[in-house]
Amino acid sequence: MAFNYDYYLRTDKMPTLWCWGCGDGVILKAMIRAFAKLGWDKNDICVVSGIGCSGRFSSYLDCNTVHTTHGRTVAYATGIKLAHPEKHVVVVAGDGDGLAIGGNHTIHGCRRNIDLNFVLVNNFIYGLTNSQVSPTTPQGYWAVTQQYGNIDPTFDPAELAKGAGATFIGRESVAEAQKLERLFVKGFEHKGFSFFDIHSNCHVNFGRKNKLGTAKANLDWIEGNLMAKAKWDKMSSEEQHEARKSGKFPRGILWHVEEPEYCDLYDTVIEKAGGKK
Amino acid sequence: MSLNVDFKLKAPENTPVWVDESKCKSCDICVDVCPTGVLTMRLDPHNILGQMVQVAHPEYCIGCRECELQCPDFAIFVAERDEYKFKKLNEVKKLKGEA
Repeated sequence: MAFNYDYYLRTDKMPTLWCWGCGDGVILKAMIRAFAKLGWDKNDICVVSGIGCSGRFSSYLDCNTVHTTHGRTVAYATGIKLAHPEKHVVVVAGDGDGLAIGGNHTIHGCRRNIDLNFVLVNNFIYGLTNSQVSPTTPQGYWAVTQQYGNIDPTFDPAELAKGAGATFIGRESVAEAQKLERLFVKGFEHKGFSFFDIHSNCHVNFGRKNKLGTAKANLDWIEGNLMAKAKWDKMSSEEQHEARKSGKFPRGILWHVEEPEYCDLYDTVIEKAGGKK
Repeated sequence: MSLNVDFKLKAPENTPVWVDESKCKSCDICVDVCPTGVLTMRLDPHNILGQMVQVAHPEYCIGCRECELQCPDFAIFVAERDEYKFKKLNEVKKLKGEA
């Protein structure tokens, strides 16, 4: 009796349109297992996704779904959450969607600490549009728009979220599906903005020209760039800076604090203004 | 809250691992992650990339579920512990003649 994913899936849309071995499928499965573990009914979940390969999440999940405009996922999700504070809102955005065109919305979602679950599918490239350089492309790697190696410095989305004020930040890779599921369960339970930086593989559009052409080679490369948080904490701040510059990141739950949530604060505003009697 | 759904898939009789070939895209991840070499690839000209995963050595399966967890395409399934008696790792090594 294997686990049945079909309750949360639009089975008529299967098989998925993603390339063979795409990490998005592993993230989708881990998300579904986390939903089932938490006992969330599919009618209580709203999945908001933007443009890109990660935009297909809203097509495959049989929840209340919105496939929004490019980069505006957090803006739409904020409205949905304020209208229905009792529902669970999950935002899925790619690295280009959530950090480049939608970077501003991501910052302000984090700052407000609204109860959204922001899943950043970080595959280091604009995969859907064939290998343009994205904010998280590591320095020195090939992309269509950086033919001689990327010269932009490497970017750490978790530090951005922490600086902007997110209250739960986790990082995991698709090569460890069970750890990913556990991280999702902890983050989805958290009341406040949960930011997940999920390192995913794009061996077709990122790996092809960077000598990571197969799914396994790309997954091994991702795993090699991540280290345990305990090991990371033992490093001095200079060493951490150097590691970050060379594209090495800590994994696990990086930040977890309890802060007042935006919908609760908004309720006090409604009360003061004389509404909701 | 009740999730009135059947959350489980029935395993075929006496089978540790089974593959939904209509969903498999033969990405090779399951073959790579399997620690005991249960799965292999066979040539299949009708499928994407010209190959298809097959369960070559079901007797080696230790039930770690790595292949099921890492499959991005919902294509491979592993039986529960009460449905199939999985081998221990040292038994598999004996079978292979490594121990």
